[in-house]
Amino acid sequence: MRKPWQPQQPRNWWLRNPAYRRYMLREATALPLLLYTLLLLAGIVQFSRGEAAFAAWLSWLQTPAGLLLLGVALAAALLHAVTWVALVPKILVIDSDRLRIDPRHVLRAHQLGALAGNLGLVVATLWLLWPAGGA
Amino acid sequence: MSDTIELAVTRYRPEQDTQPWEQRYTVPCSDDMSVLDALNYIKDALDPSLSHRWSCRMAICGSCGVMVNGEPKLSCKTFLRDYREAGVLEVRALDNLPVERDLVADISGVVEHIEAVKPWLIRHSEAPVDTAHSQTPAQMARYHAFSQCINCALCYAACPQFGRNPAFLGPAALTLAQRYNLDSRDEGSSERMPWLNAEEGVWSCTFVGYCSEVCPKDVDPASAINRGKVASDINYGVNLFRLLRGKGDA
Repeated sequence: MRKPWQPQQPRNWWLRNPAYRRYMLREATALPLLLYTLLLLAGIVQFSRGEAAFAAWLSWLQTPAGLLLLGVALAAALLHAVTWVALVPKILVIDSDRLRIDPRHVLRAHQLGALAGNLGLVVATLWLLWPAGGA
Repeated sequence: MSDTIELAVTRYRPEQDTQPWEQRYTVPCSDDMSVLDALNYIKDALDPSLSHRWSCRMAICGSCGVMVNGEPKLSCKTFLRDYREAGVLEVRALDNLPVERDLVADISGVVEHIEAVKPWLIRHSEAPVDTAHSQTPAQMARYHAFSQCINCALCYAACPQFGRNPAFLGPAALTLAQRYNLDSRDEGSSERMPWLNAEEGVWSCTFVGYCSEVCPKDVDPASAINRGKVASDINYGVNLFRLLRGKGDA
């Protein structure tokens, strides 16, 4: 008579293999980004409460806890972007009788697009914040 | 250099055991010995009660998949020489599947998933008997890698989503669906799309990607499934358009 052993997935399955740990790290980048979003929301709330409240929020950003949160959020955003962009050629395959694009070019286009977008944001921010700039 | 190596084999004998347990064997170790050779040595010389599955010894039949030190491997394509440093080889049946006995995992559920997606050429228009369905090399290249699957189920042992929910069609079945959908000779994608679109289809995949790392034939199921998500999106849009025009699913 058959009596197969039915394995149960252990709760710590993701700790048992480096590939799973890399995957969970990639997925976990969403958590610091959630905290960062809440931080920005708090900033908007403080802004609506008046100048003193907003200044207090701004000065909190420069405390060690604020800087740590910003640093972790930045690292998570970069890891999130790099790991997902690296997967693009596996998903976006342009290969038909009429049009074929080398997967390496698809990857390069996404990397360059991400780089240009981020550099553009930094340049635009600096330009707006520059004393004689945005005015 | 040691000329023996220790294998810690997870045993399960349904007649006697209530749960799996570990048995250690010391086997000869040479550069050309595979894990399958070691298991056969145990079976022939040390313990005839050990059960394991194998056939071709050349990575084409897909029968001899086991977990080696926690990784899904074909035992015929995995060599003892690569584990000399580790000293001990832990060998157990493939993860995420019922264990019939010792190293024999029951892959019948996987085979049912594969059959469900109709992995064969479906034609609605019959070609004349005296001509072949012609295909250019470029058209063949679109699905060729996906057609190399040998149904060994290593990707199912690697997939935590299948481990969590065995109803998930899983890497090999969804790859084969994509393999036939991409074949220029096939006319059956409308019969496979409901499987791709289903809860148990491509959308249960979260792109862990480990299936592609362990595939012994470089099939890249993670790519096939996630390209299936693109196909599923397009199918949704086309069906919505057809619904608005009062027509059936594409």
